Amino acid sequence: MVNGLGEHIRERREALKTTDKAFSLRQVAQRVEVEPSYLSKVERGLEVPSEATVRRIAEELGANPDVLLALAGKVSSDLQQVIRKRPELFAQVIRDLAQLPDHAVLRVVREVRDGTW
Amino acid sequence: MIELKNNELTFTFPDVHPDAQLTLTFQRTLRIPDDDDTYALPPGLGTFPLKHVDDFRSKIPPSWNEHGGVMMPMFQAEAMWIDFSSEDIDNRGEYCFIVKIATGKVNAVTGEDWRDSVNRAPQDYLVVPTQPWLDGYCVEKGTIRQFVAMPLGAGYTAEEQVTGEARVGGVQIVVYPMKREVFERRFPVRRWREDLERRHSDEIMYSPAPEAALEETVHMDMGLAPGGKMRQEIYDDPYDLADWDLRHRSRCFVHLANSMTWRAVTGTEPPTKPPTAKEYSDRGLPWFDYYAEVPAVDGGGALGKSLKSVAQVSVEKKDALFSEEQSIVPAVVRGVGPAQRSGGRVREW
Repeated sequence: MVNGLGEHIRERREALKTTDKAFSLRQVAQRVEVEPSYLSKVERGLEVPSEATVRRIAEELGANPDVLLALAGKVSSDLQQVIRKRPELFAQVIRDLAQLPDHAVLRVVREVRDGTW
Repeated sequence: MIELKNNELTFTFPDVHPDAQLTLTFQRTLRIPDDDDTYALPPGLGTFPLKHVDDFRSKIPPSWNEHGGVMMPMFQAEAMWIDFSSEDIDNRGEYCFIVKIATGKVNAVTGEDWRDSVNRAPQDYLVVPTQPWLDGYCVEKGTIRQFVAMPLGAGYTAEEQVTGEARVGGVQIVVYPMKREVFERRFPVRRWREDLERRHSDEIMYSPAPEAALEETVHMDMGLAPGGKMRQEIYDDPYDLADWDLRHRSRCFVHLANSMTWRAVTGTEPPTKPPTAKEYSDRGLPWFDYYAEVPAVDGGGALGKSLKSVAQVSVEKKDALFSEEQSIVPAVVRGVGPAQRSGGRVREW
């Protein structure tokens, strides 16, 4: 099973461990409330954790949870809810934006409207 | 342009500098006692939720649609302060901005009726990052009266006291950036050692002051009124007026909804009421004093000094709003300066 998530987590945790021993596999597993052996399997790509666990890992490692979820092949439940409300519209928007470079996507933002006052 | 993300208003000016970014949040806080004492700065207890008014067009008054902007919930007599932060750019320093703040179109720095222009004498704006926060109306040099939410039309708001009318309500914000060439000239790229020295400074700790629960009202619009007094300086603009790019501005109207209105319009719950100042202080939790080696403006002017506080108006109206309020003495006041401020949120415990 290959998902990219495990490698990403391991690299980030190891990088943090170089300056802080509290980021050993055992200690991180304890804080994330999973068994060390389970976290080891996640890091080796042998297990895909639940969304809640991914979020706890992201928080612990100071990582973006959306990025970790994407690496795990998941879409955050709040985003799923947004898409389910207007599936046709969001599917169209995502497809339209798919080929745009990052800077162009970032320009597609919602502004706070200024009125008359 | 202005974006709303995670209850933060982000003002950007891509036509001036691609990274010029001012972030503004509204912080929940204690209401300080509205008595004769002058208090230290109360803590931040988290941000108020903000929502686009455009998301609720069918449920809001026509004037809110007309004003545009965002809305946030406040309980009657709840206090708030405004937090400003800007990003460090290219290791030069934080980009600089002018911020004009008004409530009910009454300028919070001068106490004057709203003017679209930017004025230096008297200074009617704040300079960010020099000014990290604004907690209320400047009533005299070094003293402000806390922003306290009151129903528009009840005679308490600064707007009603200054203009005699209850027409606008809310908070109005206008932001102008510094000219890019001026920023780059005034803030050359720092070497790492200067950066290190800038971050290093001491934190000072030393030891040196409630409220009655209030019923919510059914008024749709809320405004801000002057509450208790607190030590806070409005810093003099250290730059020249010509340094500011007055051709580029972004502005935002922030509507204040009482909790009933917020529930009815958004279908969500507002935050819970904050603790009283006495409850907070009795637990030995810190208050704050901010020190910066920058001259302060006189502020307030004749209008600012004549503003009556909510307690004073309530006595005149025989409302007895804060009749059970007690003075308090904060057990711990934490002194902070620009260095701590640049390291992140400092008015938290």
